[in-house]
This record gives sequence, C-alpha cells and structure tokens, in this order.
Amino acid sequence: MKAATEAVYLPMLFLTVALLGGLRVDDRVTFVPPPLFALVLGMMLFGVLVRGRVVAPDRLMSASRMPLENLNGLVVILSTFFAAAQIFNLVTPESGLPFLLFNVFLFVLLVNTLAAFPDRVSVLRSMAIITGAAFILKFIVLGALSSPGEGVLKRVLYVLLEGATLGTLSQPILHPAAGYIAFATLSLFLVGLAMLPARTRSEALIKLNA
Amino acid sequence: MKERSVRVIGLALAMFYASFIVWLYVRQPQTLAEVTGGLTATIGAYRINQQAFDDGLVLFRRDEFEASRAAFGRADPAGQDARTQFYIAYSYYRSGWGRLYQDNALFRKGLEHVDTAIALAPDRRLVVDDPELYIHSADELRAELAEGLRIEASDFNPLRVFRKRK
Repeated sequence: MKAATEAVYLPMLFLTVALLGGLRVDDRVTFVPPPLFALVLGMMLFGVLVRGRVVAPDRLMSASRMPLENLNGLVVILSTFFAAAQIFNLVTPESGLPFLLFNVFLFVLLVNTLAAFPDRVSVLRSMAIITGAAFILKFIVLGALSSPGEGVLKRVLYVLLEGATLGTLSQPILHPAAGYIAFATLSLFLVGLAMLPARTRSEALIKLNA
Repeated sequence: MKERSVRVIGLALAMFYASFIVWLYVRQPQTLAEVTGGLTATIGAYRINQQAFDDGLVLFRRDEFEASRAAFGRADPAGQDARTQFYIAYSYYRSGWGRLYQDNALFRKGLEHVDTAIALAPDRRLVVDDPELYIHSADELRAELAEGLRIEASDFNPLRVFRKRK
C-alpha cells in the first residue's frame, strides 16, 4: 500500500466518517457521540473485517515495520474503529422500540457474519447490504412513518399509528438534509473499507508428476 | 516527496483533524462564527468587536435591552467573551424583572448566558467593575436569576412590589 493512502487518505476518510456519523441537523446542529452499544458493534465490525481479510492488521502494525509506519497504521486502525462505531450511531434510530430492535438485529447479523468465516468480497458486500438496509429503514421507512405530513389522510394515519404503537415507533422528524448527509457518509465508509490493506490469500503451486 | 515526509505530514494532519473533531463534539458549536471564534479563543487570539460592545453598553444604560443584546451579539458572535456574556445575561435579567412577576423565559436565557460567562472566566470568577451596575459578580447575578425562577413562599409577600430592580 502506498504511504499516502495509509498516512493521509485513509485516516482523513475515516475521521470524516466519524465526524459526519454523529452530525444531527435540525433547527440546530448537534454532534452526537456514539452510544455504548455502537462501540460494541464497531468492535464487532472490526473483528468481521479482520476475519474476512478486508483488513490485515499486520500490514498496518508489526515488528518488521518502522515506528513511524506503525504509528500511521495505528491511526488507520483507530480511525476505522471510530468510523464503524459512528456508522452504527448514524443508521440506528434515535429512541424507542426501533432503537432496541435495530441494535439487536445488527448484533445478530454481525455475530452471524463472524461465525460464517466469509471472504473479502463477501464481507464488503455484506457490509453494504447491512448498512444500506439500515439506512433505508431509518431514513426512508421510519422517516416517512414519523412525519405527520400535510394531507388530512396522512395526519389521520399518523395519529392512528401513534395510538396503535403507543408512540414507541415514531422518531424525531428528520431534516431534509439528514438523509443526504447519511448517504454520503455511508458511501465514504464503504469506499474506505475497500481501500484498507487486505490480506491476500496465499496459494501454493504444486506440480504433479504424472 | 519522500515517503517519510508523507508519513509525518499525514500523522500531523490526522492528529489535528481528530483533535478538531473531539473539540466539535465537546463544544457543540452552532454556527461557523462559533467554530472560528472557539478555535481562535483556544489559542488566545479571540477579540470582540469593541465598537459593537460600546454601542451595546450605551443601549444597555438607556434600558434598551433588546437592542443592547443585538449589539452585544454582534460584538461577541462566537460567545467566547465572559464580560460580554455577563452583560447579555444582565440585560435578560433587567428585561424579565417585574414588580409583580418576572418573565421566566427571559430569566432562563439570562441563566444560560451567565453560566457561559462563568465557564469562560479565568478560574470561573468574574467581577465586572462597572459603577452603573448593582450586581458586579457573575455568581451574584446567577443567584439572582436562579432565585427568580424558583417559586417560594416569599414570592407571595405583598411587600415585594416595593423591592428594587438591581
């Protein structure tokens, strides 16, 4: 891997994801740090990345590397972890029953992926599907359900839904820019994952004498 | 560029960017002015707009509190100057004060600003030497605002109408 990728591009990219992952745009801008469970999910995701050979930690930090190279590698590892935690912070609903359900589903999905021992491409594809599905559920499905809207019929349906679910389903109304920021952040994260130094599968060439 | 230089520059950039992100999450700035003001205050280079501050002071002394707050806001757009925040809090106190009752919304805003002033002051101690003020210390102003927001038996004392605005 080129020095610029390891020392500049990857840390900048993942730190930007860590910054934008907690950004909440409303009538005022707030930066939300990751909840404890997002840190747990982030750690599990990092485990999945290592197990799936998306990242090879020994290509970032090892005794054979110079101290400065190891420092750059440490920055990549830490920024990847915090970006992963902030991605879960971003795609998880803010409160109520969806918050609990999303966390449980993400946990189960990551445990399943850890147990499956997948290859690099499968892990990258799996990450895109997990985060993409969570994005659609939070920013499109729940976003639409939580917005009372302007039509009378939509308002009536909203009140009925609120009553039927005892208010546990609805979320704070999302700012129109929130979905776009989240989409850009997710895309950056997936690009970053694909750029990580991967472990190449070693292959032996065996000549068979017929 | 040599590989070593790239690595050193990358490390420095990452450290700076990470510190900036932590700062954003801790300070929660709302506007670009607050971001730039907060950063310049961190290195001790923040200066208020003195002309706007003087305008605010003149308006404050004429009891034109809303106008004075606008001027003070212009003087300290980043909310980083303890003295200006003290005057903004004081103007909320005077705006909200009444003989029969006080405006809780204004008192709450005053409390927010005086808390900011206390947090910004060195050793959290702020004393303003202005002979035209009745309250000189931020702690005293905070106590006055907090007391105004509490409902106590003394609030129903009819002799309250004779008390003086500070």
